Amino acid sequence: MTRLLARSVVLGSAVAVAMTVTGPVALADDLSDVLERARSSTYTATRLTVSVWGDQTSVVRERVEHADGSEMIRVDETWSMVGKGRTIVMSDSPRGFAFMTTEEPIVTDRYTLGEATTCTHLKRSCTFVAIEEGDRTRAHMLIDSRTGAPLITYVYDADGRTFRTVSLSEFRPHRTYEWPEDGTDVPLEVVMSDETASLPDDLHGYLLVDVFGGPAASDQGFYSDGLFSFSLFAMPGGTTVAGFESADVMVTDRGAYDRITTARDVRLHWEAGGRHFVLVGDLPPDHLMEVISELPAPDTGNVLARIWRAIFG
Amino acid sequence: MAGLSRDAERMSVLLSSYLDGELGDGELDEVVLALETDLDVVAKFRHLQTVRRSVRMLPMLEPPPELLPGAHLGVELSAYLDGELETVELPNVVAHLSACAECRAELADLDRSRTAVRALPGVEPPAFLGAERAAREDRRRRMWPAAAVAGGFAATALAAALVLSGGSDPAAIDIADLESRHTAVASVPAGATGLRVSGP
Repeated sequence: MTRLLARSVVLGSAVAVAMTVTGPVALADDLSDVLERARSSTYTATRLTVSVWGDQTSVVRERVEHADGSEMIRVDETWSMVGKGRTIVMSDSPRGFAFMTTEEPIVTDRYTLGEATTCTHLKRSCTFVAIEEGDRTRAHMLIDSRTGAPLITYVYDADGRTFRTVSLSEFRPHRTYEWPEDGTDVPLEVVMSDETASLPDDLHGYLLVDVFGGPAASDQGFYSDGLFSFSLFAMPGGTTVAGFESADVMVTDRGAYDRITTARDVRLHWEAGGRHFVLVGDLPPDHLMEVISELPAPDTGNVLARIWRAIFG
Repeated sequence: MAGLSRDAERMSVLLSSYLDGELGDGELDEVVLALETDLDVVAKFRHLQTVRRSVRMLPMLEPPPELLPGAHLGVELSAYLDGELETVELPNVVAHLSACAECRAELADLDRSRTAVRALPGVEPPAFLGAERAAREDRRRRMWPAAAVAGGFAATALAAALVLSGGSDPAAIDIADLESRHTAVASVPAGATGLRVSGP
């Protein structure tokens, strides 16, 4: 993954899209049908994800083989597999997680499908569909008609600016079996649902889908609104969370948070009431601010130190 | 010159698409016009036709008996799930699967079984293996008492050093680990049954 350059340069090169619009179309499916069809589609492609957080732009380029709700992903020389509640990373020390979930279907009326038009993109018949959130457009998706794969997805922030773009190139509507080896021997940590943990049922319209026991006596609450999702990890005091040493500091009127932004997600860390909290998810910036406003505010002890670090590095 | 080359390359693509029946309306008109007016295009078209005809006339490989129509797939299902089928076999397997409900059901069972096996936690070794290992370790302890004593001293010293330096770390979590956990949960299809160990 590389964090790069000015937003205009990256977006300009990453999202060069030529579409031929052929006319409006009535899309009978609802959003969940569109997302389910995308999830179960079969294709091989190079996926470029570009996210913009303030003045930071993050880019990741991945080789993806998507089939039957799972993905084989290669970034540089590292392969991973994601799907059906499992992640497997084929690094020097292969490892993985398998979640046993008791989740209920996500029911949210936050999003509706807006105007849809048929078009062609790279000689493929497509539908360009808007995803509306109230009176604003939250996302646009360019969906391949044959496979249901989202060839391009634009996600917008509260001001209507493009916050994330996910585009597929070198698209092939079939598998190419590039997965280098069988992941059967990878040790999996099986994670069970833990209904004893106490976490909010709803955070700014994100519903608590399931709670799991995490590492080091932590609880993992998984929240989703059907389009975006995040996990909230609540950990006891004294826990060390590695990886935030060089994080940015996000200062809000509620306090200071350690923040890492990547092309795929955002990660926040803060301490409140003697506990550590980590939030990991792909939600847009305005949703993130609303969600953390409903969670315990950061302790003020380290605010000055963090602000100092934010200013002087 | 470069423009001419690009035009020729584009026309090759269009001709190939024409032979595959994949041209749109505007493109079809363009190809038809070129074939009526440009002898080079006609020559290129005939060349393409000849190449494709030659490829079609190549001898077909005899499919394995288990892939003949009517025969079920058996072990090929496992290879299919592993993505190990060669190009020649794959279309036959896919065609058979699309027509054979029995093999589709077997494939689904096989996939469920493999998912369940992969999701199983580690298994403790049988008791007799544990006893054998304990006996082996007992022998090793008796052979190397000095090493054990030295190890004990070292461990005690290390623990004391940690306590004195205040460096004890009760719990450490890596953000990459948390990110992997979130990605795994997020990959569960909404409204589906999720990951199951036993069948539905």
